[in-house]
Amino acid sequence: MATTTAPGIELREIGRAGHGTRPDEVVLALSPGFAGFFTRTITDIPHAQVVRQILAGIEEQGGQARVIRLHATADLAAVAHTAARLSGSGIGIGVLSRGTSMIHQKDLPRLSSLELFPQSPLMTPEVFRAIGRNAAQYAKGESPQPVPTLNDQMARPRWQAKAALLHLKECELLVKGAPATEVEPVIDDPA
Amino acid sequence: MPSLPHHENPTPRHSLRNQILEDRPVNQDGFVQEWPEVGMVAMDSEFDPRPSIRIENGRVAEMDGRERADFDFLDQFIADHAIDVDAAERAMALGPGTVARMLVDPNVTRDEVLRTARGLTPAALLETVRRMNIVEIMMGMQKMRARRTPANQAHCTSARDNPLQVAMEAAEASLRGFSELETTLGVVRYAPLVAIALQVGGQVGRGGRLTQCALEEATELDLGMRGITAYAETISVYGTESVFVDGDDTPWSKAFLAAAYASRGIKMRFTSGTGSEVQMGNAEGRSMLYLEIRCILVTKGAGVQGLQNGSISCIGVPGAVPSGIRAVAAENMIASMLDLECASGNDQSFSHSPMRRTSRLMPQIMAGTDFVCSGYSATPNYDNMFAGSNVDAEDYDDWNAIQRDYQIDGGLQHVGEAEILAARSRAGHALQAVFAHLGLPPITDREIETAVYAHGSNDLLPRDVLEDLKGAQSVTDRGVTGLDLVKALHEGGFADVADHLLTVLRQRVSGDLLQTSAILDDNLEPLSAVNDANDYTGPGTGYRPSGERWERMKRLRHVTSAENPELEVS
Repeated sequence: MATTTAPGIELREIGRAGHGTRPDEVVLALSPGFAGFFTRTITDIPHAQVVRQILAGIEEQGGQARVIRLHATADLAAVAHTAARLSGSGIGIGVLSRGTSMIHQKDLPRLSSLELFPQSPLMTPEVFRAIGRNAAQYAKGESPQPVPTLNDQMARPRWQAKAALLHLKECELLVKGAPATEVEPVIDDPA
Repeated sequence: MPSLPHHENPTPRHSLRNQILEDRPVNQDGFVQEWPEVGMVAMDSEFDPRPSIRIENGRVAEMDGRERADFDFLDQFIADHAIDVDAAERAMALGPGTVARMLVDPNVTRDEVLRTARGLTPAALLETVRRMNIVEIMMGMQKMRARRTPANQAHCTSARDNPLQVAMEAAEASLRGFSELETTLGVVRYAPLVAIALQVGGQVGRGGRLTQCALEEATELDLGMRGITAYAETISVYGTESVFVDGDDTPWSKAFLAAAYASRGIKMRFTSGTGSEVQMGNAEGRSMLYLEIRCILVTKGAGVQGLQNGSISCIGVPGAVPSGIRAVAAENMIASMLDLECASGNDQSFSHSPMRRTSRLMPQIMAGTDFVCSGYSATPNYDNMFAGSNVDAEDYDDWNAIQRDYQIDGGLQHVGEAEILAARSRAGHALQAVFAHLGLPPITDREIETAVYAHGSNDLLPRDVLEDLKGAQSVTDRGVTGLDLVKALHEGGFADVADHLLTVLRQRVSGDLLQTSAILDDNLEPLSAVNDANDYTGPGTGYRPSGERWERMKRLRHVTSAENPELEVS
């Protein structure tokens, strides 16, 4: 089992990821290069911040968080849906290294979702925290207001090609058929 | 090697000039290095196939180094439906250098190039344009464009999906010269009302503008069949099998959809563009342009009259790599050299830099294409629901000045404010009458008054969205058609607008809008590559703005009178 690090965070893989049983559980699934090959999102939010904010958001709502890492896919829908399927509540969050995120529910079709955040350059620590909060509320059976999605016409010229590069790089890290692993995050992020 | 002098202070000092340059808008654009192994390369990749063809028993047995047994479904579709086997061996034998020269040489006619191009494989087309610089590509475009007279297309959308705004933008865009008007939605359920608004607004004044509403494919087809829209454009094709399959599609399913439109006499074109496959991580190690050429050939093979290309929504990807915008110009030219109508992009926000935005336009606006933009945002970009265009409503005067500077026709013209206000007002009242006739949520005079003088949706009176959405649903439930709109306009006292709409609808009976590159002219007669074929054969030939049109293009917002320099004419 590997341990990967990025500034302020260590992800210790402790075994194969299993099904949770707690009804208030939210599973956070990270993509293969998260806090390892990559250390921050496309707009330089440290991965330590991303995990910390999401976990804090879940905690705020009294939810139980569990973190896993995927190795065989960097497809956001697949990452988030895997999290949902392994989650005791059926609610999961998927996050790619560049910051693109999704809240998923295990009974939805894979290409559908509860909330999708497709534009990685527009993600902020506040949005990550709100994602954690909303996911925990879905886990409790509530219907939160979706996190407002942002739009920016100039995101394309600034970020489209870099997003493609980041995606291609993350795809290079894929290990065919490798199962998801349970991760113990150790966060040392002062923020 | 001598070592560099060591600085005591490790923080480098920057010059003021460096800071100025650092802060220029162009440095907010993204630029990346090439990575050909995964397809992050515009058009020069050693991983692209080399041209070859072998014909056996009247069909392609081998193409670009691949045996038929190893074809993927794009190879198969292209080999069986796009490449003319009777022309192939002769065309391929010419070699890419000769074909490139034919494109540039004014002594070689458009028809001669067409006869050759229909026998070329994807790799041969790529090798041909790889030999051409940007000026040569523009020369090729000037000659190969299907319709003699260039035209333009507008995006008419609203950040609030406000139908009144869309109707007025359509009327203004029509007056300014756009031949096609396209809309799409933020809230998809609004579509029937916004599509009706676009159709009504596009028939005000001169009228005869062709409209379309970009939606999920089945809904788009339904609106077209019911005559609420006049053409379709957002039928996407891709250059690798894996991306096609991800979208639950094949070249055959797209060809079937194309046939559905043709069966009702509705104009349609496919959409593709460089960068989409690498963006989705499935470029199979081919360059962006090689994959786009496969898309162009799939379009040709499907029997569709035209294509919207020029990277379109992936423009940030070719825009970020070396020679990427040259590749984008090349993809437009290849569509034209395969005798397809080309709506040539320039339709998506591309750069923070005003200089780069302008430079992006040059190959298409200077050479002239069937539609220079395949959407110019008729609204300010914040209202553009296609995520922003390269040019918007704030660029009209710049565009008109560029046309006048070079005597090139980008399809637009300056229009005085009084005329624009009158058209916007008339479109508003026409839509008011249609909504009243159909029992849709009323449009008030105050809403119209506000919208006539507005710049964008921030300036409008908000509508009751829930009531509008119920109205939109009822339009679908009742099966409202284009003819219902004609009746509503006629009975509402807008006989001329009704007449224009009826003329547009009647085109689907004659099928004239199925001809390559068809638009409606000033008299609402079809103008296409059949009755307005590009006849460029060198200096002094082909389309040149002249006569009344050129006089119209000379007018700008502020021009000092020669007769009395204390006055301005406009």
